Amino acid sequence: MQDDYIIDMRHITKRFPGIVANDDVTLRVKKGEVFALLGENGAGKSTLMSVLFGMYQPDAGKIYLRGEEVKFDSSDDAVAAGIGMVHQHFKLVDNFTVAENIVMGVEPKKRLAGFLPCVDIKEANKRVKDISEQYGLAVNPTDMVGDLAVSQRQRVEILKMLYRNAEILIFDEPTAVLTPKEIEFLLDIIRGLRDQGKTIILITHKIEEIKKVADRCAILCRGKLVDVLDVASTSVQHMANLMVGREVKLETTKGEPHFGKEVLKVDHLTVRNADKFEVVQDVSLSIHEGEIFAVAGVAGNGQGELANTIAGMQDAYKGTVTLDGKDITSETVRNRVEDGVAYIPEDRQGMGVFMNLPLDENLALRRYYKEPFSKGGVLDHAKIREFADDLIERYDIRSGQGGRTITRSMSGGNQQKAIVAREIEQHARLLIFVQPTRGMDMGAIEHIHDQIIAERDRGAAVLLISLELDEVMQLADTIGVIYNGKLLKTAPASTMTSQEVGRYMMGVADND
Amino acid sequence: MDTVFIDGLAFAAPLFIMAIGGIYSEKSGVTNLAVEGFQGFGAFIGSLVAVILMPQMGSDNQMVIVVAMLASMIGGAVYSLLHAFLCVRFRANQVISGVVVNILAAALTTFFTSVANQALTGAASNKFVLGVSDQVTVPVLSQIPVLGWFFTDMYPYEWFIAVVAIAAWYLMYKTSFGMRLRACGENPQAVDATGGDVNKTRFISVVISGALCGIGGICYAYSISANFSPSIYMGFGYLAIAAMIFGNWNIPTTAAVCLVFGLARSGGYQLCLSMGLSSNYSDLFLMLPYVLTMILLVFFSGKNHPPKAAGVPYDASDR
Repeated sequence: MQDDYIIDMRHITKRFPGIVANDDVTLRVKKGEVFALLGENGAGKSTLMSVLFGMYQPDAGKIYLRGEEVKFDSSDDAVAAGIGMVHQHFKLVDNFTVAENIVMGVEPKKRLAGFLPCVDIKEANKRVKDISEQYGLAVNPTDMVGDLAVSQRQRVEILKMLYRNAEILIFDEPTAVLTPKEIEFLLDIIRGLRDQGKTIILITHKIEEIKKVADRCAILCRGKLVDVLDVASTSVQHMANLMVGREVKLETTKGEPHFGKEVLKVDHLTVRNADKFEVVQDVSLSIHEGEIFAVAGVAGNGQGELANTIAGMQDAYKGTVTLDGKDITSETVRNRVEDGVAYIPEDRQGMGVFMNLPLDENLALRRYYKEPFSKGGVLDHAKIREFADDLIERYDIRSGQGGRTITRSMSGGNQQKAIVAREIEQHARLLIFVQPTRGMDMGAIEHIHDQIIAERDRGAAVLLISLELDEVMQLADTIGVIYNGKLLKTAPASTMTSQEVGRYMMGVADND
Repeated sequence: MDTVFIDGLAFAAPLFIMAIGGIYSEKSGVTNLAVEGFQGFGAFIGSLVAVILMPQMGSDNQMVIVVAMLASMIGGAVYSLLHAFLCVRFRANQVISGVVVNILAAALTTFFTSVANQALTGAASNKFVLGVSDQVTVPVLSQIPVLGWFFTDMYPYEWFIAVVAIAAWYLMYKTSFGMRLRACGENPQAVDATGGDVNKTRFISVVISGALCGIGGICYAYSISANFSPSIYMGFGYLAIAAMIFGNWNIPTTAAVCLVFGLARSGGYQLCLSMGLSSNYSDLFLMLPYVLTMILLVFFSGKNHPPKAAGVPYDASDR
């Protein structure tokens, strides 16, 4: 039986200061299967794979590869042993071609004029093209990586591993950055790799994908291995419960919407970027009290600029933005906030918080200049702390030293929670949420979705911009699909299926 | 016209080799404001070797210049270790390191020039008096229109620089070392992920930078002033940095920019002479390259693409 397992990790324990990331985990993976590693953020999936990939050394436990014990001092050793990993953040050089990126470190060489050593770029292009064709990756070796879409870059990373003859391929959350169509393409590639004898390990927290592509699945929860399951014979609900460690509801329940007065009116809005390119073109929409208007679209189709312009971070080129009947097109950001606009920006670390300020000050950011937080221009830290402690408790924001924690040292998910708490607590007329649950795990997403619905039911107008189609379908009362800066289709959510929305996201226009 | 071109080229060539030095360092991800210091220190070592050799070999012996040039490369390389250690090993702020390296070079070389003069001649002077490099005209080739300028009244170092520049281009764009070097300046994580050593590559690149800047320094000492003195620090290193930036960190484009700077300088000087102005005004006309820099800044600043990771010390734990 031993020999069936290409990877055999026995009793792996890895500790970091204050936390046991992997607690006595034993994991066996068969040759030629797609093996999924399921778990919430912080469950220890990535740590476990980093141990396998040689980036971390385990505190206890042994790793056997093809039946023989191995010790990796660095990821270079793992690569030499035939293991490859596609990281969440791609490690590519933008101004190099695809082939240059792939062969770097193990370039094919030739001698120029018989003696001068140089990189044989023709040979590199040829080899890359061959591998790309063999596995159906559809990348062109001479393209500049900087010009490629995210999904293509990911395939360059896959090629990088295959070029180095990897037998075992680890994918770390590969679909987080992809559109539905691209996800299907990637899953096809993964199936193709398996069919050609590669062993695949897929780290993910999306159960659907596991259902589609994986043969077996291990579930990690708080550093411990909960179970290893045969995917085909296990229900989605069961996997979700094991992953979170309690019963979860997969569908968000929300009541019927009750629309009131019009809160936001965007009229023929056009926005130009620095290169004078019209990133938002002639967009009109209107959102009422008690309405969640969700903008669906693939990343980079103008949704970020649309939100920025309504929030006042970017100037409109043409058109108007009206809030409760008042033209706010050229108002300052602070005046808009005073008028009742709350905003969760896409770039949370750049625009959402001051990374070097403590959490409590970040939480008071919208009101610090007003009583009771500030009297005659002097901050009242006691009041700020009191306010922050209340939010930290109610929104379950976790940090090392409560309100005094420097925001930079908090996890991304908790930074996001802090921004969401701050913005919801304004009890604004209009809430603009851009990707409010990005990078959060299921439990936290559930909580934020409940908050958004509660705001709607209170009578706020909500503009939700999300790249996750599931999130749009779950929360929206009205869906607007944005493509190339234009709002292609606006319709009540109840009249559209996710397949239809997905088609519009690809730019397929209405026939009628 | 011939004079303008010949003088312009004599000025542009050392500028170009220093700019390549800057490119080597910055392309690998180490911001290099230390070009001025590297060239000054390199020139100092080269000149020191020259004044030691001249009494034995004769002050007109052209071999002295060859040896001095090699010595200045080594001098520049050794001095650049300071910048390399500060920026790569100790992860210091690269801008501050560059400025400090420049100031230190001026102070050290001035001091040691006086000390060396005291020891060699008994008289404390802050100058090493050097011979003048021969100018060579290649018989037949110099008769070709336009192209002939490259073979008329040339300082031999101009050809040497041309050869080194081609070699530097080849190393950077055709070899695996050059590929890794360029990747280090764009995305060092990518190099690390493929088993390359980012810090080692950067260290080597800075030292190459120092050697190339050293060549530039000794050429100026020989061609422009015929001596080594603190006036070597008159800002040519910074002009080389400007050429590198306008050249978009690309070696052939930078060559063209250096030529423009060189022609602006020699053209300005000739203009001053032809207008019959007194030599007091020549300094005014020698400002032309710098005025040109300011004008170019206005037009080109938005269109540049500096190496993305330049100025950021590499930390392997930043994933």
